[in-house]
Amino acid sequence: MPSRRRMITTALAATVLPAPTWAAAGAPTHLAAARRPGGAHDLCGLRADGTLAFALPLPARGHAAAAHPDRAEAVAFARRPGTFAILLDCATGRIVRRMQAPEGRHFYGHGVFSRDGRTLFTTENDITSGDGRIGIWDAAAGYRRVGEIPSNGIGPHEIIRLPETDTLVIANGGIHTHPDSGRDKLNLETMRPNLTVLDVHGGVQDTAELPAALHMNSLRHIAAFHDGRVACAFQWQGDPYDSPSIAGLYTPGAGIALLDMPEVTLRGSRGYAGSVAVLGTHHMGITFPRGGRLLVADLASHAVKTLRRADACGIARAGQGGLATDGLGGVHRIDRHGFSLLARHRRSFDNHLIAIR
Amino acid sequence: MLRLIALCCGLLGGGPAVADLMAVRDQHILPGYAAFAAASKALEKTARDDCSPRSVLPVFHVAFDAWVSISHVQFGPVETRGASLSLAFWPDPKDRVGKALARLSHDQDAAVQTPDAFAQVSVAVQGFTALERLLTEPQGDPAYACRLTHAITRNIRRIADALTRDWNSAFGTAFVTAGAASNPTFPDSKDAERAVFTSLSTALEFLHDQRLGRPLGTFERPRPKRAEARRSDRSARHVILSLTVLKDLTNVFAHTPLGQVNAAFDAALARVAALDDPAFAGVSDPVRRLRIEALQHKVRELQIVVARDVGVALGINTGFNSLDGD
Repeated sequence: MPSRRRMITTALAATVLPAPTWAAAGAPTHLAAARRPGGAHDLCGLRADGTLAFALPLPARGHAAAAHPDRAEAVAFARRPGTFAILLDCATGRIVRRMQAPEGRHFYGHGVFSRDGRTLFTTENDITSGDGRIGIWDAAAGYRRVGEIPSNGIGPHEIIRLPETDTLVIANGGIHTHPDSGRDKLNLETMRPNLTVLDVHGGVQDTAELPAALHMNSLRHIAAFHDGRVACAFQWQGDPYDSPSIAGLYTPGAGIALLDMPEVTLRGSRGYAGSVAVLGTHHMGITFPRGGRLLVADLASHAVKTLRRADACGIARAGQGGLATDGLGGVHRIDRHGFSLLARHRRSFDNHLIAIR
Repeated sequence: MLRLIALCCGLLGGGPAVADLMAVRDQHILPGYAAFAAASKALEKTARDDCSPRSVLPVFHVAFDAWVSISHVQFGPVETRGASLSLAFWPDPKDRVGKALARLSHDQDAAVQTPDAFAQVSVAVQGFTALERLLTEPQGDPAYACRLTHAITRNIRRIADALTRDWNSAFGTAFVTAGAASNPTFPDSKDAERAVFTSLSTALEFLHDQRLGRPLGTFERPRPKRAEARRSDRSARHVILSLTVLKDLTNVFAHTPLGQVNAAFDAALARVAALDDPAFAGVSDPVRRLRIEALQHKVRELQIVVARDVGVALGINTGFNSLDGD
């Protein structure tokens, strides 16, 4: 329950700064970075019917974005190893602030707001030590950097919140990189990815790893069910024709179990999953852009269904189903039955699709 | 992208760059499957009459040639039937083919007796990769190897028939009517073109990364035993067949200026023809290795001009996400 002081502060802030809500930005439900035909990049707001609510220019190619839960504010992250993030007012299209990673840190491309929208958490690299960090920014006070905590691993990539809570879940990919060597992977032999659950005080509530033999299965993207289970998307760093399943499910207290993937889908994916989403109560969707495929798994019946869609990568929940975007401008409605094209836009949607709420 | 198309058309002064799906089906895909079906029928018949390697090997080569010459079509019936893997299980870093063959033989598995039962055994032993082992390696149990040879050749023929049938009926029709109302297979007119282009670019990537890259390994650690179909000396042959058929597909498919694309195909073909190294054993020899690396480099150049002069020119370039990584 919020303290009295906090309620007063919130009330004051609301009076002083009447920030526009998402409705003022055309009522988007999702965000996606994209490349326009001319080569410029933008951040798009998409509605559940696939139409564009807005398209705002970005100074460089974006990776993922974090959407404020109430205000029409989005933080667009540069591709790793970027050192800046752009805070956009999506109602006016104005770049409100260029958020700079602190000295000795760079962003990994993902972030998430706290439930009340007052705090932003970002995945970062401590460049000297290679340890993963979660940067903490005060979204209620001009996005001031207010601290950081360990991510409990190396190479944290996606960070999410369990629905309706402030419990954070982090995909520590395990891969050590250094800006001096770009995206070169410096520790493939010794990498140990993990999924970490942090409680509201930043303490480690749970850590889950795959068996040691699968230590080269880098956990990169995650999506949470309401019951605390977390859908997991991996990127296998070994021989792609010797890849274990790259789709998994974390269950609190029971660790991560890999899902059985059809052999054709697995070999076609080349060991690379792009993104993952929860689609309703018992379904998850995971994209394999290198194979032009997408897997929908029914976790209740263990049935899996492979769908084909060239260059599909972004996927996010939308009601009792989801939306998927592709590099050819397509926005698709997706449910347990399959794909249906909602709209095609003249742009290439980038890796991730983010649900605003 | 638009600017590039405009530039192409401006230079030519002709009509817009277009893709010809009807020609792809009628002049490329249907003849490819028909040749594969005919060759696999002969393979099955030969194996039934005389299953000895001496008898089967010549027709094995003809049928495998036919499969390699249509295996680049990665969408449609071949996808829904999972046929690519069962026809040729490669790459196989964990030797699943060898292990599954040993298990079948050890158990004297009766699955070889009926087509339906055989379709349920490991995909690793259902096609050419396993057949090559039976025909080129000494068999401890020749009687069972003979039954297995029957089963595999029958399975190949059945798959070839099914793929040919599917392409000659509903799927082939859906392919050439892409974008028409009530075409759930290809709801957008560009979808079929993208499927063709994805097959083309994926096959070139497979050529570069797997067929050449796998045996090359690294200079410090070449991997000659990872060459595709090395036991039957077919590694370089697959590269030639693949380049030849992909060049044909490109010319049938894309009505864009293809001068540089064809020159790049010819440059790669000339390199592989001059190799005289059928199983890429030369990857371990510093001098001969250079020539295989030069071939691989030619394939890379080919990938780049195909992406530009076909993919971008037709407005169907893929890979914004699939060539990315994060």
